[in-house]
Amino acid sequence: MKRCTSPFRTIVAVCLGAALLGGCTQQSDDTIVVGLSADITTFEPGMISSRDNANIARHIFGSLFTLGPDGEHIPELAHTLEISEDGTGYTYTLNEGLTCHDGEPLTAEDVAYAFNRIADPANRFTGNSPGFVYTSIGFQSAEALDELRVRINIAQKNPIAFGLITELYVHCKDAYEQMSLDEAAANPIGSGAYRLASWTRGSEVVLEKVREPANFERIVWRIIPEASTRTAELIAGNVDIIANVVPEQVEAINSSGRAEVQIVSGTRRMYVGFNLSEEHAAMPGGDAIQDPAVRRALQYAVDVPTICRQLLSVECERATGLVNLENANPNLAPYPYDPQVAERLLDEAGWPRGDDGTRFSIRMQAGQGRYVNDVNVVLAIVQYLEDVGLDIDLELMEWASVYTPLLRERSTGPLFFLGTGGGLWSPIYDMTDIAQVGSGTNYTHWSDPRWFDRWSDMVNTDDMDEQRAIIDEMLEVFYEDGPWLHLYFQPDFYGVSNRIAWTARRDEHVEIFEASLR
Amino acid sequence: MSVAQGDAAVMENPRGSGFRSELQRAGRVMVAARWPVFAVVFLTIAAIAAVFGGWLAPFDPNRQNLVLRLADPMTAGPDGGVFLLGSDALGRDVFSRLLYGARVSLTVGFAAIAVGGTIGIIAGLLSGYFGGWIDDVIMRLGDIQLAFPFILLAIMFLVVLGSGVWNLILVLGIGQWVTYARIVRADTLSLREKEFVEAARAMGDSTPSIIFRTILPNILAPLTVIASFNVASVILSEAALSFLGLGVPPEVPTWGSMLAESRDTLVANKWWLAVFPGVAIMLTVLSFNILGDWLRDFLDPRLRERT
Repeated sequence: MKRCTSPFRTIVAVCLGAALLGGCTQQSDDTIVVGLSADITTFEPGMISSRDNANIARHIFGSLFTLGPDGEHIPELAHTLEISEDGTGYTYTLNEGLTCHDGEPLTAEDVAYAFNRIADPANRFTGNSPGFVYTSIGFQSAEALDELRVRINIAQKNPIAFGLITELYVHCKDAYEQMSLDEAAANPIGSGAYRLASWTRGSEVVLEKVREPANFERIVWRIIPEASTRTAELIAGNVDIIANVVPEQVEAINSSGRAEVQIVSGTRRMYVGFNLSEEHAAMPGGDAIQDPAVRRALQYAVDVPTICRQLLSVECERATGLVNLENANPNLAPYPYDPQVAERLLDEAGWPRGDDGTRFSIRMQAGQGRYVNDVNVVLAIVQYLEDVGLDIDLELMEWASVYTPLLRERSTGPLFFLGTGGGLWSPIYDMTDIAQVGSGTNYTHWSDPRWFDRWSDMVNTDDMDEQRAIIDEMLEVFYEDGPWLHLYFQPDFYGVSNRIAWTARRDEHVEIFEASLR
Repeated sequence: MSVAQGDAAVMENPRGSGFRSELQRAGRVMVAARWPVFAVVFLTIAAIAAVFGGWLAPFDPNRQNLVLRLADPMTAGPDGGVFLLGSDALGRDVFSRLLYGARVSLTVGFAAIAVGGTIGIIAGLLSGYFGGWIDDVIMRLGDIQLAFPFILLAIMFLVVLGSGVWNLILVLGIGQWVTYARIVRADTLSLREKEFVEAARAMGDSTPSIIFRTILPNILAPLTVIASFNVASVILSEAALSFLGLGVPPEVPTWGSMLAESRDTLVANKWWLAVFPGVAIMLTVLSFNILGDWLRDFLDPRLRERT
């Protein structure tokens, strides 16, 4: 008698389970369903910070230009850009005939209003645009020169300002002037290809097509925090694309005959942060990590290649800093796993093991369900750190409503686990997380003058060789005494239904404009 | 209430030869019924696992071994050991975690009953003995609590208090007090009019003495039956809350958290991660229910002749 194969049993089990909920179904041809792992918190352009949130917002709000998968410049709402001689004025010319979702014409005045609104301190926005883009480029103001031309003024010349400005969401003046901040967070009026049709918090977001480019009339973004459920829904045909497939489930998806997993080498930098703020220095263990020698010692304590191989099912090269390997300092070798060296350095730093075998106790915080296999990765890191004598008080938190607010306040830690999105188009883009001590994305409060004093030299020089030399010098400081315990660049696992033609990008942008039916 | 009267009869002569003969009768009845013997045997094994888990476990339950993760049952482990029930997603020994999990699950079960029972018994005694506004306040508080789904209430408390074994015990204990309070109140209302209580009053016993030394011993038997059922439901609640990530910290193995951790690997046919803790929970709950069922029949005077 022929026995059922394991994949077959999986499909049968999944379909039986799904049948109880609604059965193995096929979506209609004008609708695509995307399953996300983390909840969406806001549609306020000034508050959006997570990648999942940004991926949805990207379909609602247009931007002046965008960057393609390889960093190429793609015109969107604007078609030309002029940069002033001193590098502080960016003048964009908008396309004619643009409209907002409320039917009003979209003009340069709307763009200027949107960008100034995000910068308005009275609004207290802390999302990616004000917290990362504006602090990085030194945003001063935006002004409408005429109906189609808008000028953005920045504090000083910045070689990556163009790329950063692509991350700003254009929204519409008339609509936002009439809404309170709370109303604006739930009722986005944008200029993108889709508009928000409905939003059920914690459950799903439905977008409806407004204009091209859009291959589907509707995009349904379903929030499915549990990885097995996402996989089951994909195999059952209830979802077309899922993010964060758990590596253990790759085989089940690939052998289902209904979907396949695309694994891409992502650009997100995963690390354990050392929060060096005064508040955290007063906590147990917070004083120990103030010492760069302790931080350096801990680099040797964690076996990153084994974590990649065993928990992420990929071979990876350990990061040497915050820049993706393609743009990293080639003279820096990843820290090897050598717990004996870690122990010796900790002894030398003045933190010997006590009678109970512990050097010091310290709290570590992490969100869960956001990154690939994140809970297991965090538990493995805790084990490695405890093996060299640390006593870790681990706090695993719900991502969207508990951990993200702490991140916004830069109060996670003293140790915290995080991944931050990166890019391949410029090393400075990756370094911009820590452009200033007070940057919204400098969650560590690191303030080493050897890094920050060289920042302006790096961005102001026109000599590319000199700039590269400064970058390498700064990256060496970060490698030696930086505020990150370097881990890996997250591989991304997307499950894609066989009825959909779509290619995953390395930068985690899930752009449904590019998806189509097979 | 017949059960209470029977209990009173049993408890009035709790020691000496009468007590010994009751024990012998219990043994005979249990063996004749068969299933309670299995329950006692399993619960004894679970108790031994809980108490001596540290010595019985072949591995440290939290010791990870990433290169030996998701090993099948009976696979060779580190240092010449064997993963009897396989290893989990971090290479931890499932058998060792199961033994330690027994400790947490049973501790939570019994401690929560102790907390809930103590609160409920005191509240019920006061409510039943004094009546009036005290009775009204206590019973209305109970009604209000019962109006909320328990699991929702537990989640709310744990979100505020934070997870942890003691918080879990507190929350699960508080969730049980109304059951005890209602039973104790009903029995107290009946017993406070009995002659032996009147006699104690006439002899000048203080009110606390009457409540706790005269009435309370006569209502303990039905409470024992209720408690045996409640332990099972509390263990299930602990498993549910741990499954939701609201139970104990991630490094503390419990049967519920082991089940939760198995979710991602179940689709990949790593069945042992879900089956063993699931079976442990099922057998424990079943055993307590069988034992409670038997205890109820055993203590029921109407069934005494039959048993």
